[in-house]
Formats: sequence, structure tokens, C-alpha cells
Amino acid sequence: MRKLELDPRTKLFMIFAISLIVMVNAYTPLQMVIRIIVTAIPILLMTLEGKYAAAIRFAVLYAAAFILQNYYLSAGSSGLLSALITGYCGIVAQFMPAMITAWYAIRTTKINDFMSAMQKMHVPDGVSISLAVVMRFFPTIKEEYESINDAMRMRGISMGGGKVTKMIEYRLIPVMFSCVNIGDELSAAAVTRGLGAPIKRTSANEIKLRAIDYTTMVVFAVSTVLFMAAKNIG
Amino acid sequence: MISIKDLNFHYKGSQDAGLHDFSIEINSGEAVLLCGASGCGKTTILRLINGLIPHYYKGELSGSVTVNGKDIQNCELYDLASVVGTVFQNPRSQFFSVDTDGEITFGNENLGIEPKEIIRRKDEVVSELELEPLLGKSLFELSGGEKQKIACASVSALMPEIMLLDEPSSNLDWKAIDELKKVIEYWKGKGKTIVISEHRLWYVKDIVDRVIFMKNGRIEHEWNREQFGKLTSQELSELGLRPTSVEEKYIEEFGKGIFSEDKSSDNNSIQRYENGISLKDMYFTYDIPKYFFRKKKLNAADSAQYTLAIPELDLPRGKVIGLIGKNGAGKTTFLRCICGLEKDCTLKITSDGETVSGKKIVKKCYMVMQDVNHQLFTDSVRAEVMLSMDEENREKADKLISDLGLYGYEDTHPMALSGGQKQRVAIASALAADSEILLFDEPTSGLDRAHMTAVAEMLSALAKDNRVIIVSTHDPELISLCCDYTLCIEKGRLKYLRKCQ
Repeated sequence: MRKLELDPRTKLFMIFAISLIVMVNAYTPLQMVIRIIVTAIPILLMTLEGKYAAAIRFAVLYAAAFILQNYYLSAGSSGLLSALITGYCGIVAQFMPAMITAWYAIRTTKINDFMSAMQKMHVPDGVSISLAVVMRFFPTIKEEYESINDAMRMRGISMGGGKVTKMIEYRLIPVMFSCVNIGDELSAAAVTRGLGAPIKRTSANEIKLRAIDYTTMVVFAVSTVLFMAAKNIG
Repeated sequence: MISIKDLNFHYKGSQDAGLHDFSIEINSGEAVLLCGASGCGKTTILRLINGLIPHYYKGELSGSVTVNGKDIQNCELYDLASVVGTVFQNPRSQFFSVDTDGEITFGNENLGIEPKEIIRRKDEVVSELELEPLLGKSLFELSGGEKQKIACASVSALMPEIMLLDEPSSNLDWKAIDELKKVIEYWKGKGKTIVISEHRLWYVKDIVDRVIFMKNGRIEHEWNREQFGKLTSQELSELGLRPTSVEEKYIEEFGKGIFSEDKSSDNNSIQRYENGISLKDMYFTYDIPKYFFRKKKLNAADSAQYTLAIPELDLPRGKVIGLIGKNGAGKTTFLRCICGLEKDCTLKITSDGETVSGKKIVKKCYMVMQDVNHQLFTDSVRAEVMLSMDEENREKADKLISDLGLYGYEDTHPMALSGGQKQRVAIASALAADSEILLFDEPTSGLDRAHMTAVAEMLSALAKDNRVIIVSTHDPELISLCCDYTLCIEKGRLKYLRKCQ
């Protein structure tokens, strides 16, 4: 039944490892290769989970930025356009790997699995519940934001009459009001179903670290170490 | 099973809302309906039974509440979770998970039930409530009715003895209500104790054993099912209750049209109205064929695959038009296209010999959304109204505000108003924008009779100024109160536009 679903702990480890990697500049060919590998893995995992559109989008975007940066832009290029492209490609090629991994982790993790993973790592309930609520809230904020955006467009004030502060104010106030309301109702509904009971939570879907999880973690750990060491190896 | 004795309660920081010397005994296996105007204390009673009062909502409480032999005040909420289950009003805000499977098992996981038992309970609930088609989906993709069904399932999976439902039908169409009714009947068959708070009485009147009418936090009347069934609509209306039969009559009348599977009429014969507003080429689809850099323009030739395709439609002025159709039929898409929110829609609107299309449509129309909180942005009612004007005109704004019965609230923050007042602020800003077409998306969901009548009167009054008023609604009562025409949409196609009898 469960295809190639990684344990949430593995995903967290991936995010951790890749964050280290994107924070350091890549100079040597070995570092470049490692970057490409750690970017390709989450993209591959996405296709395995059936998220083809996102995988292709990320792959094309990253490849374009990478190729442009390394083959068509040189230190000697000048002019506004190439400056813009250099900046854009630099940011994409540098930070995209982390973004892809984070996107993959958030989109493919169910809240229940996440909670039990946190429990297995002995994270206090208070922390894991808060993080779970944050995950639950992303789509809600998006929904609310979209309806408010619609309302603004309908009234022809999406530009806030040219005032930037107004533009932000008009958007944020309704979003905040509805998120507070929804959050309040949400927690009322959750506590009536036993959230916060001082009992060890169980999980219908038991999560387990399997061979594939260990392999992925080893690949990411080795990549990170090599990447960090590459500068010194030379 | 449930025993409330000499209970006095009022919410922290509020003067009136609350309960006074309230006592009730509910036996095991009994189904009780709580009814009465908004703010009469129905929800407060449910919150007392499930322990949200005093553990979540604070206030001053005296008297005793005993549920299944436990004194609520000395219980923790998680102890009650396996005894009392609650289905709430708003399907959007009662989910903790993002996927349906996780939601059904959520409560059991919290209580530390064995994984095998959780799966067994889930399978049982899924097969008995017929939820297979909904499994493995994201909750954000479900319709309101489907969400409410999952909410019922997640409560049911905890196997509680007592089921509480707090206005569960507010956001549902007739078909979804019918499914909800089946779930409640199933619970009743299993011998659960059920307490329902509801404004829409027609679908519960045959299920409940006892009906309790409340007013200002006290019990005013009590009937058994037979006595309640004999109340005439006259008597119900004197009590401020919605009728128990009108909906069925309307479902009979419109429902057949809406839910029958026959092809929608090709509406070759478009009725013309004197000085009407005509809509033309209303084509829209959510999956527009995309090329690399541009989208394909929508046109009549491909309309067979579109989400919405209405080649031509004439709308009469000065009338209230009720927009009906089942959930997912395209009512919301229809409204969104008319107000110009869907940029790719090819709609052209002609009024007074002038045709507009594209971005200019936004100027002509104004929609009062189902959740008005989304469309109030500023810090005072007056600023809200003036925001819609091309040139700010304080006098005109104040006049509109007092016309809509908001005199004295000009400087109040819109968020501090009641739901009905917020709705009127939104209407005032629509009038300030001089919109010719006013659209209302479910303006009466969750309202009691008095508020609904007020909305109906307002709609009729608005129509008098030669505007086109379109109200999307699942509330047959609202149609009977104020609509002059009904417009039925099915699968994004126009089914009919005809005069109400």
C-alpha cells in the first residue's frame, strides 16, 4: 500500500543537511556534483509520489538557472540585463535545492505521521502540536488570502489607491481576523476529540525507519560531509 | 444520561447571553432538538454537555451538569472525548488533519487507542457511513457537505454514547442535508443519545423525540414529536421559528428540477425583459488549454467542455432573482464570472445600450460574500463606504449608512459589529460604488427566522431601485419570501429562468 513514502524523520534530516549545503558556496567540481545530486534526489522522490507537475517545474527551473549561470554568464559580462539574470540565476541555483526539499517534505507528510515522528524523537507534545497546527494552517491562510484578494479586486482597490501601507493593511487585517476565528474554533473542535490528553498518542499508520530511509540519510550525511570537506581537499 | 440542574451561566465579559435556572434531563437513547432565536442559549447548552464550558470558554457558572454519571466541572476534556462527540457548524474550521483518513483516526490516536482497534473502528465507520469515495483525499478539496460527513465520521469513530450537533446544516444544500439526516438516523438506530441545535427544522422533525424551545436562556416550551408536528405554521411563526414544511414543499417544486438528471434545456428561447441587463458569451473553464506563453481564448465552439457555458441570458431589473442549483453545479463560478473575478471569462454585459467586458465588468457588479469578514478592510464603517466611491463624499456615505439602519455606527470598527450589521456595511459599500448588479452568496446561511426575514425585506427593497439582485441560496424559505424569479444552473449550464408562482 505505502509506496515509496519516507519517514518524516528522514525528511527532516534531508532539510537539515541541504540547508547546510546551500549555505556554503560551491567552488570545486566535486561540490557542484554533490549539489546536483542532493537536488535531484527530492525531485526524484516527488515523481515517485506522483507529483509530476511540480517535479518537472522544479527540475526545469533549476536546470535553466544552473546552465545559464555556469555556461553563459561569465565574470566579464556586463550590462543591466545580464546583471539581473546573474542575480536571479545565482539565487535560484543557490537556494532552490532547499526550497525543493522543503516543498517535498511539507506536501508529502501527513499531519498524523508528522506527530508520531515527533513523538518518536521525544519532542515535547507542546512543540509538536504547535508545529502541526502551523502545517494545518498554511492551506487555510492561503484560502483566506485568496478570498480577500478577490474581494479587493471586486472593489477595485487591489492597489490600495497607490499607498503601500494601505495595501498591506487592507489585506492583513481581514486575514488576521479570520485566522484568529478559525484557530479558535479549530482548537475547540480538537480538544473535544481528546487533543492534549496526557496519554501516549498512538498512530493508525505506524511509521518506521526502513532501509530506504537509512540509505537516504546516509547519502545526505556523506554528501554534506564531503561538501564541507571539499574546500580543504581542494 | 445528561442531567443539568439549576444552571446559571454567563460568558465572561458579556452581560446578557447565557442561561438562567436551566434544568433538563435527557434519557439514554433520546433525540432532543433545541430551537429558538440566535443567542437564546442553544450553543451554550451543547458546550456545557461537551465540557467546552467551563474548560475552554470561561464564564460564571453555578448549578450542576452531569453527563453519563460524571460531573463535568471535575472532569477533564479528554475524559469526555470518548463519551461525548460534537459536530460543529462550520465545516471549514473543525479539522485538525489535512487528509480524510487522518481526520477519522485523529480522536482515537489522541486517546492512545491500539492501532489495530483504530483501524477497525475506522473501517466500521467508513463502511457504515459510505465514505469509501472520500478516503485518501485532501480535506481542502471537499465540498461543504462532504466535509460535514467526514466530521460526523471522525466523531463517530470515537464511539461516544452522546452525539451533539450544533447547527450542522447551516452550510449545506438539500442533498447534503438528506445525507446528514441519514447519519443522524443511523446514530439513533444505534441507541445513541442525540442533542441537535438547529434553525432548519424540517429535516429533524421526524427524527427527534422531544423539542425544546428556548428564549433568553430559559426553556419556554417543550413538545414531544407528535405535539410538535401538529403546530401550525402560524404558531411556529409567532414563536419566531422557521416552518417545518415549507422547505419540503419547495424541494418538491425546485428539487425535482435541480436533482433530476435530464439534459438542461438548450434555452433557444431567451425571454427578453424590458430594460433588462443582458449577459452574453459567458464561457469559462478552470482548466484553460495553455500554450507556452498565452492562454487559449475561450469561445463558443469548445463550450461543451467548459465549466460554465451560458451563451445568452437576459436579467430583469427591479426584481430579486434566486439562483439555485446543487452544490458544485457552478453557482459560485457563475457569480464570480459576473463580478469579473475570473479574468478569462469572455462575458459581455449590456445595459442601457452600453456593452462592457473584461475589467470594466468589475465596476458594474458587487458581490456580498458568504463570509463578509473577507470584504471589510478599513477601521470604520464610514471609511468602508467611502472606500468604494470614486470621489469621497461624506454626506452621501452617511446617508447610505443611515438608510441601511446603521445610524450611529459610522465610526465603529466593522469587525465589532454583528453578522447582520456587517452584511449591511458590505451592502452600503456596494451602493456607494453605484453597482447595477448586486450579487449575494448564501446571505442567510445559519440565520434564524427573524434575521432571515430581515434579509429578505432588504433584498426586496434594494431591487426597487431598478437594480438586478441575484441571490444564490439553498434556503427555499428565502426564495418564498423575496424572490420574484428563480434561475437554475446545472453543470454550469442554464437550466431555466422563470417567474416564481
